[in-house]
Amino acid sequence: MMPIWTKSGEKRAVTLLKVQDCHVLRYVSKEESGGKTAKLLVGGKNVSPFSKPESAHEIFKEAGVPPKQKVTTFNVTDDAIIKPGTPLYAAHFRPGQFVDVTGKTIGKGFQGVMKRWGFQGQPASHGQTKTHRRPGAVSTNKAAKIYRGKKMPGKMGNIYRTSFGLKVWRINTKHDIIYVNGSVPGHTNCLVKVRDSKLPTYKDCNKNPPFPTFFADGDEELPEDLFDEEIFQFTDPSVKFA
Amino acid sequence: RASSDGKPPKFQPPPKPVIIDRKTQKEEKRFLSPEFIPPRGRTDPFKYYIERKDMIQRRKVFNIPEFYVGSVLAVTTADPCASDKSKRFVGICIQRGGKGLGATFVLRNVIEEQGVEICYELYSPRIQAIEVLKLEKRLDENLMYLRDALPEYSTFDVNMRPVPRMAHEEIPVNKLQVRMKPKPWSKRWERPKYNIKGIKFELPEHKMKAAQKWSQPWLEFDMLREYDTSKIEEKIRKELSEELEK
Repeated sequence: MMPIWTKSGEKRAVTLLKVQDCHVLRYVSKEESGGKTAKLLVGGKNVSPFSKPESAHEIFKEAGVPPKQKVTTFNVTDDAIIKPGTPLYAAHFRPGQFVDVTGKTIGKGFQGVMKRWGFQGQPASHGQTKTHRRPGAVSTNKAAKIYRGKKMPGKMGNIYRTSFGLKVWRINTKHDIIYVNGSVPGHTNCLVKVRDSKLPTYKDCNKNPPFPTFFADGDEELPEDLFDEEIFQFTDPSVKFA
Repeated sequence: RASSDGKPPKFQPPPKPVIIDRKTQKEEKRFLSPEFIPPRGRTDPFKYYIERKDMIQRRKVFNIPEFYVGSVLAVTTADPCASDKSKRFVGICIQRGGKGLGATFVLRNVIEEQGVEICYELYSPRIQAIEVLKLEKRLDENLMYLRDALPEYSTFDVNMRPVPRMAHEEIPVNKLQVRMKPKPWSKRWERPKYNIKGIKFELPEHKMKAAQKWSQPWLEFDMLREYDTSKIEEKIRKELSEELEK
């Protein structure tokens, strides 16, 4: 994570996400998958073939691509279908776009109720016998049972969670890095899934994005760094207020 | 060697003396700002490389001078509320923290009998000028104890003129021993964990001995805490000098 500054001098924290060897692996049509839209399977970081079982190598051989560490599905409309085997780059996203990032949260192991669910616990003194971080009462008398889903101690973290509506501030096309506002679930150097935001406020936010994706061998030549309008670029002189 | 023709061994001239030019050696150890040295951790060094590119870009446009903890600086920042739209603050640098773009430094001064500390970000675009009025080092890396010292040691004239300094002179180390206000202090500065050399402790002997109870003499031998930055520093210095010459 890194700080960036806007043109008015305010500081924002930004997470750097690197797009490492992403390829489209397979196209699954609407009827095949049984969902509402067609799906595209996309693979992430390259990994040695010995770390995956032989059965998993099929998809990668069909697409003609080295085995990937993570495979995710994206629900896609019919006009955005991409041929399997095309590489995906960071320039697929543009600064000013809003994005949802999904990742596996940091695993905290078996945790008590105060850390896991934010319970208040009990006071430290004034006669409390061996009860300082316990959940207290678990259900009512009339219920005569504990309801399903009761918040209790257990394994915390290491589950998929999404941060919604994160703004993309900057894109580095040379090294394929996306600068995303705020924090993102997961530890450093973990794999995350980045997707166009599905929040209703950001429905019409994408102004002319590369559709269906950015093709590196196309005619478009992008500069090394793409900035949002509000970012202070370090090539400018210091901020002055009128 | 006695096993040759029986004649006395050939005269071997003594080895040529290696002349170590102290001046060039000193020039090689040029100043590297501490925020360039990456901290020890599991982050990809590529992230620090990308951050360094931004820092170098900023340094090309705006000059960040060499300064240490203990030097007196004057910083002008842009401020929308001020009448001239800019503010100037003079103070002694008591701490330099943070790595990468988020590097900060804290300036302290006593204005109208009120101690004021301001924490500035080195790479913030609001900073319009940093001037070094007096470049010097002190005996410690962290001068937070000036909060508990007598106010005369933290007062600096707001209209102070920059002290002239010859180029290629060694940075002077001010061996000033500061006198403190009576206890209680904000932190127990006599304890060995702070390792402060710049205070003239006027505490009784038994209190100084009692403070040594908290010493951890094994820490300096702990191999897991070792972080040798010499090679990393060399690489970064090379990179910096190449980029700034462009």
